[in-house]
Amino acid sequence: MLIVNDPLDDLGHEDPGHPERPDRLVAVRHAIAQLDLGGDQVNVAARAATRTELAAVHEGAYLDELGAFCYEGGGDIDEDTYATYDSWALAQVAAGAGLVVVDELRRRGEGVGFVSVRPPGHHALADRAMGFCLLNNVAIAAAALRGDGERVLIVDWDVHHGNGTQTIFWNDPDVLYVSTHQWPLFPGSGVASEVGGPRAVGATLNLPLPAGATGDVVRRALDEVAAPVIEEFAPTWVLVSAGFDGHLADPMADFALSSGDFARLASWAASFAPRDGRLAFFLEGGYDLAALRDSVTATLAAALGDSMASEGETSGGPGEEQIRRSMRERASSLELVRDQLADGAAP
Amino acid sequence: MSAYPRTIAVGYDGSPDAVAAAHWAMATARLLGAHLVLVHARGMLGRLDRRDPRTIFAAPVADLVESTGFDPTRLSWHDTDGDACSVLLRCAEAPVFADLVVVGSRGRDEHAGMLLGSTSLQLAERSPVPVVIVPTSPGA
Ligand SMILES: [Zn+2]
Repeated sequence: MLIVNDPLDDLGHEDPGHPERPDRLVAVRHAIAQLDLGGDQVNVAARAATRTELAAVHEGAYLDELGAFCYEGGGDIDEDTYATYDSWALAQVAAGAGLVVVDELRRRGEGVGFVSVRPPGHHALADRAMGFCLLNNVAIAAAALRGDGERVLIVDWDVHHGNGTQTIFWNDPDVLYVSTHQWPLFPGSGVASEVGGPRAVGATLNLPLPAGATGDVVRRALDEVAAPVIEEFAPTWVLVSAGFDGHLADPMADFALSSGDFARLASWAASFAPRDGRLAFFLEGGYDLAALRDSVTATLAAALGDSMASEGETSGGPGEEQIRRSMRERASSLELVRDQLADGAAP
Repeated sequence: MSAYPRTIAVGYDGSPDAVAAAHWAMATARLLGAHLVLVHARGMLGRLDRRDPRTIFAAPVADLVESTGFDPTRLSWHDTDGDACSVLLRCAEAPVFADLVVVGSRGRDEHAGMLLGSTSLQLAERSPVPVVIVPTSPGA
């Protein structure tokens, strides 16, 4: 069963010519229609996240400033990120959509969640918009679950590093953040030596990979490095920052992934949910509309135990050496931070 | 480690703040006989617009070289993907190996106020090498 938020009224958040555009959600609606789930699809109405829910992740002064900026008509926040008059209202509903999808999963105790929203969220910091992102949707949902005592795994397979999510949970031992991403690439963070803060050493796991990386390389990184860490963490919930800009056709980056690879990644992430109803995918990037549509279909079908990928899995790309290097860097960084903690010094 | 910086990195995005910072950095590099690296951080949309900053900013940089009397053979560019703060923090490492980082007090988009955070303050907090924050002169 697929639990998905009702389509958002997102047309007001648009900057002509900008790749983060309303047509993305049109493509995603087509993707969901392609699944043809009938009664196995449950739509839930999204609501605006409350101030308290947002403030679990974002600083109050930032929320005030973002709201005021939008009500004054918006504009460019930085060279990548825009907001319009409507963006503040939409961003709150996008964040709320994640909360209602998760709530519906909890109420039913079964199903797979999909949070079909824009703007995306994983670059948004507690006090700063960036990288097309205003509010960190996945972090807001994770914070709500964590507040109820859950242990949350966030798998971020967007081609960009989710610096916002990493930073928000940097020192939180109950949220394990795992990211595969192209490196070097925007935002520039996400090296393997970033392992988490003093109270959460090891709860950040970065797997940077080179341009041209194929599905087999991404899977190997996740299987060999991330899987043992996740098993030890033992999540009670799995949230996926599902960006599809790692697709070969996407203009924003240089990974060579296919819809078949995203299907495989979805099955991989699903395997860590402790039981049915504990898995939700959050839309992040993905700017080639056909690739986005087919990758979302493939991802959700795979998460539901079906196979609908229009492309096969890819293999043979670079990255093997980078995985080895990341394992070494992570190990030495963990050792260094633990030594510093043992010595009583702040790392 | 030399007593004086040998390689100075300065964040450059073409904004008035960046021009003020680059002017200070260039004049200082000339006095110290140091190399100067103009650092350009390419955002997400920068992937779609692959114009070279050497071309985009050729004229203002030539003006800076002339007004400071800096030796242009000691000038280079570091153009890389990333958020300005992340990119400048990494300038102490390869391939730049800066031992001093210079930034303007604000980025290009000061009208967005605090939504942008402050690159210069984040940098000053976290940089492994000394950071100089150059204020833009009033009215610039
Ligand atoms: Zn992305």
